[in-house]
Amino acid sequence: MSLFEPFAIPYMLRALVEVLVLGALAGAVGVLVVLRRLAFVGDALTHTVFPGVVIAHLLGRSLLAGALAFGILTAVLLTTLGDHRRVGNDAALAILLTSFFSLGVVLISRTRGFTADLTVFLFGRVLAIDRTDLVQTLVVAAVAAITLAVLHKELVLRAFDPEAAAAMGYRTRRLDLVLNLLIALVVVAAVEAVGTVLVIALIVVPAAAARLLTDRVAAMTALACLLGAAGGWLGLAVSYEVSVDHDLRLAAGATIVVVLVGLFLVAAVLAPLRRRLAARGRVAAAEAVR
Amino acid sequence: MAYEREPVVEGVDGEVAAGQSVALIGPNGAGKSTLIRAVLGLVPLTGGTIEVLGRQPQAARRQVAYVPQADTLDAEFPVSALQVVLMGRYPRIGWVRRPGTADRQAAARALAEVGLAERGSARFGTLSGGQRQRVLLARAIAQEPRLLLLDEPFNGVDALSQDLLLSALARLRSAGAAVVMATHDLGLAHLACDEVCLLHRHQIGFGPIGTTLTPELLRATYGGQALQLRGDGVIVARP
Repeated sequence: MSLFEPFAIPYMLRALVEVLVLGALAGAVGVLVVLRRLAFVGDALTHTVFPGVVIAHLLGRSLLAGALAFGILTAVLLTTLGDHRRVGNDAALAILLTSFFSLGVVLISRTRGFTADLTVFLFGRVLAIDRTDLVQTLVVAAVAAITLAVLHKELVLRAFDPEAAAAMGYRTRRLDLVLNLLIALVVVAAVEAVGTVLVIALIVVPAAAARLLTDRVAAMTALACLLGAAGGWLGLAVSYEVSVDHDLRLAAGATIVVVLVGLFLVAAVLAPLRRRLAARGRVAAAEAVR
Repeated sequence: MAYEREPVVEGVDGEVAAGQSVALIGPNGAGKSTLIRAVLGLVPLTGGTIEVLGRQPQAARRQVAYVPQADTLDAEFPVSALQVVLMGRYPRIGWVRRPGTADRQAAARALAEVGLAERGSARFGTLSGGQRQRVLLARAIAQEPRLLLLDEPFNGVDALSQDLLLSALARLRSAGAAVVMATHDLGLAHLACDEVCLLHRHQIGFGPIGTTLTPELLRATYGGQALQLRGDGVIVARP
């Protein structure tokens, strides 16, 4: 299998750039999602941007703009509804997820040939990405990356100890809104490429795998970016190889997710080994001190 | 002070001077934590005023440090002890910037203060309960506070950690910081504090520990569950 040859083709190269950027960004944001145990929030967001995508499609506008509008709307609703004592976070999520998603299905079921469209929205079409799509993704990714760089240590503090963060004078509710918006941006940026259903895998799987391999947030973030990008690259290469050389059509987006899960399994196998090595290191250090 | 419309604590009136230490004593649900949160400006007041260092509580936060109970934090979180202490420097560092050499030195000094200089690189969750509590106190020390608020700092803490916490608190006080701690432990209140505030939804007593921690007032605080043993030793039975 070749890791480079397929990407001489322009559409494959565009797809590669797209998944490398998405993989790294989703990995970095995913670290905060995993640490805050917000995977379900991410999952809800992936469903709530769906009606935005459908409406944009019906109006002939940019899918990304539609997704962005609904992503921001959800992030705001989630943060405010989640604060409501009687509703609570999980119920708010379930309500938003199902109502928005069904709205999207109702809207799209009124169009002709809707199963084909539905498949694209749900599972993406990374190989059909054009230059405009790519530029849009890069812009959204840049906004998210800058936000993350500016607020990273505060977001980590809030994830670890919300009471102390509030006591230090940080507005924890605003930090929560920022994280929800970041998740929304990743979902929006990835909708064209991997569809609304598979985005959550890009966010959660690399970060969860990285968590197994390290005990430091900084290292976890670097690893998650790396694993996310590597999963995207490998996934594209595998799907191209199998589709072209073996005439078995493999959907690129889904192949990427399968590869990511494979990487996670490798990390799960390596994790106990690493822990044993670390323990041995600690014993050696203790003996050296003595 | 109240959550929503039901008042949680009423009629609290007192003053804490620099270098002084006050124990908040009362049964579970007496409003100790709420009082601490009010001093941090995190709970709305229904009446009265709280002044911290001559200012509104929200405006004084930079000079106030809060130490939560260590066991309320996620033990799986991937941070080292030193990184937790560094978090105390974040308000000084500001947005975007990363901790500098001065911040790292301050964090290392704070860890040494609580006897954990050697454990800086250990993951927070791998430390014992007492060590974690000391790390959180070190984080507060790194904030260089003038007022320190602690919520049950001695819960589930071993004897060594207890001694180290007590001596670190004493050093903070001699440097001029005021200390307020919620605690169940009357013996430790005697060791760590010179004033006491007895709470049970309202203030039952506030004053020097020797004259305020009386059997009568303790009975009023704990609702008849206080037993007196031999003079000044008091045991409180909780249902």
